[in-house]
Amino acid sequence: MAFDPLQQKGMAVEDQLRNWSELNVEPYAKRDVDPFTRVRVILMNGIEVESILFSHQFQRMTDNIEIKQKLALSRRVEQQQQKVVNWLNPGDQTPLETTIGYEQVAVDLTAWLARNEPDPMLKQALDFALLEDFDHLYRYANLYELIGGRHAAELTGHLTEVTPGRPTFLEHRHPYDDVRGHYETHTVDPLSRLHVMTIVAAEQQTMNFYMNHGTDWMEPVARGLYAEIAQIEEQHVTHYGSLLDPLDSWLKQLVFHEYNEIYLYWSMLQQESDPRIKQIWELHLDMEIGQLQVAGDLLRKYEGVEPAEILPRELPDTPVTFEPNKDYVRTVLAEQTDLRTDGVRYVPVQDLAADHRYFAYQQTVNAGGVPSEQVIKENRTKHGREYRDETEGPHPIVELRDPEHGVG
Amino acid sequence: MTTLFPTRSNGATAKPSDVVYVEPQRQVTDDTLAAMLPEAGLNTPFIADFLSAVLTHERCGRHLYRAVAGRTNNPILKRKYEQFGKETERHVEILEKLIADMGGNPSYVSPAARGVEGMDTHLLESTFLLGGSLDVMTQEMVMLDAVFVAESVDDANWTTLAKLADNLPPGNVKTQFLGAVQEVTAQEVEHLSWARDTKAMLVLLQAQSRAMTAIGAKAEELVEKVRGWLA
Repeated sequence: MAFDPLQQKGMAVEDQLRNWSELNVEPYAKRDVDPFTRVRVILMNGIEVESILFSHQFQRMTDNIEIKQKLALSRRVEQQQQKVVNWLNPGDQTPLETTIGYEQVAVDLTAWLARNEPDPMLKQALDFALLEDFDHLYRYANLYELIGGRHAAELTGHLTEVTPGRPTFLEHRHPYDDVRGHYETHTVDPLSRLHVMTIVAAEQQTMNFYMNHGTDWMEPVARGLYAEIAQIEEQHVTHYGSLLDPLDSWLKQLVFHEYNEIYLYWSMLQQESDPRIKQIWELHLDMEIGQLQVAGDLLRKYEGVEPAEILPRELPDTPVTFEPNKDYVRTVLAEQTDLRTDGVRYVPVQDLAADHRYFAYQQTVNAGGVPSEQVIKENRTKHGREYRDETEGPHPIVELRDPEHGVG
Repeated sequence: MTTLFPTRSNGATAKPSDVVYVEPQRQVTDDTLAAMLPEAGLNTPFIADFLSAVLTHERCGRHLYRAVAGRTNNPILKRKYEQFGKETERHVEILEKLIADMGGNPSYVSPAARGVEGMDTHLLESTFLLGGSLDVMTQEMVMLDAVFVAESVDDANWTTLAKLADNLPPGNVKTQFLGAVQEVTAQEVEHLSWARDTKAMLVLLQAQSRAMTAIGAKAEELVEKVRGWLA
């Protein structure tokens, strides 16, 4: 059924503040939770963090008191929403277990967006980075077994395969080669705009998480792995952030942010299996509608633009859905593992000249050993094999097949 | 009905490049644009891009007038902004018809149009992003300056369109061009001269009256003063 956020009543922003006990929600049980509920929590936390960071950036660009106050009120509420969502994570879920959840988000969100992305260039951007996050899941899963003695599939529920993607040591690119082109704000499919905003927020949250949690470890290999993969997340945020059209004004971007949050809470609501958490998505959807109304009022007053002029008449009829994407990931693996970037273009690795900055950059950063390789080597040494969860058969690329049998 | 912001739902198209991604079915190339005015003997892709830029400036102008009409504290300025805003929307309509009659798509957003929209977006933002550090009189002057700048570009655009019309071969398109220029030019001249003259008047008014000094005055008093300007 068509859902037009501009036609909804929503909850007035002034009525949205909650008390401390309402924010301090009961966490889910880490061994019982639906793995896709965990990834929904991780995604929506990242979405709220992006809305907060964007609002802070915006308020630094203006001294208009009315705009700053409206931003401050909505931002305070977004902060409360972030607390409620992120506080669903239980205290007995270690940072590494949360990390495996983050990479499961990265794989199954990116793959789903790519499968549903109408623009071939944006789809290419998603496919390209998908293989890298897919590899990160494999590296962290081996770290999990190495230092915790447990299997990542206990967390992923075998819904996402664990096996090499584009090997992490090959993902390190010169910064110039992570800059992409962008969609055109007038012609872009509304769904594409939402896809890009969503993946930027998700990757940014992953980047922030690794920036802060990479030091939670005593083990040098763990610290090294977080440092290395955090740098790839920086690359991904550059890569995906480039896809946004910079032509949009601050206020238009604010409206698009609120609209995307509505789309995502509405999406999460469609699939949530936990009734208690479903109520949170419902409440937050209602709140975001109220926040969109405030953003729309500012756009109307200060730019003379009706929100309906720039927004689609209704939400896309396809909710963002977490579901297994194993066949899709395997297809992309088979076709694109050897892809690299050269400036704003994608090229097969064999097309890069021997003196390309791609190789020079890797010589620099990989010079003293590579933690993402070291973790596999150490886990093989400790357990006599590396950790994989290949539910659909051997790896589609012969060179990346496990010399031993995988476990899962 | 005019389009003030081209989107996918009203048929937006654009030119792709390495940096601008446009879905294949929304892409416009110079070859497609060259099909317009085949007999004119002119650089049609360039003209299509230029017309798109002129149209975009008018669309942004409509938004500018809506915004300043809603925010001014002076009833006379408000009436003028509303009048000019309606006339500007008529200019949008005229340009859309002209482009459509030439075989073009009024929702095509050329690279030049993107440049114009970027400029106009920042011009409009300049009327409010720093509003907190400006007293109400200065805010009025900033809005008026934005109108003046926008109308200056408009004036140059329509003067150029008039010259372009002169270069077209006789025929239906030339007639339509000349008709559009004829209907709009007088209004553009009025808009620009009004903005220039009003600015001069308000500057002189403030310069010659110690009572207009903003420093130390309460906001409500300043609003009252602004309300009385030009009365």
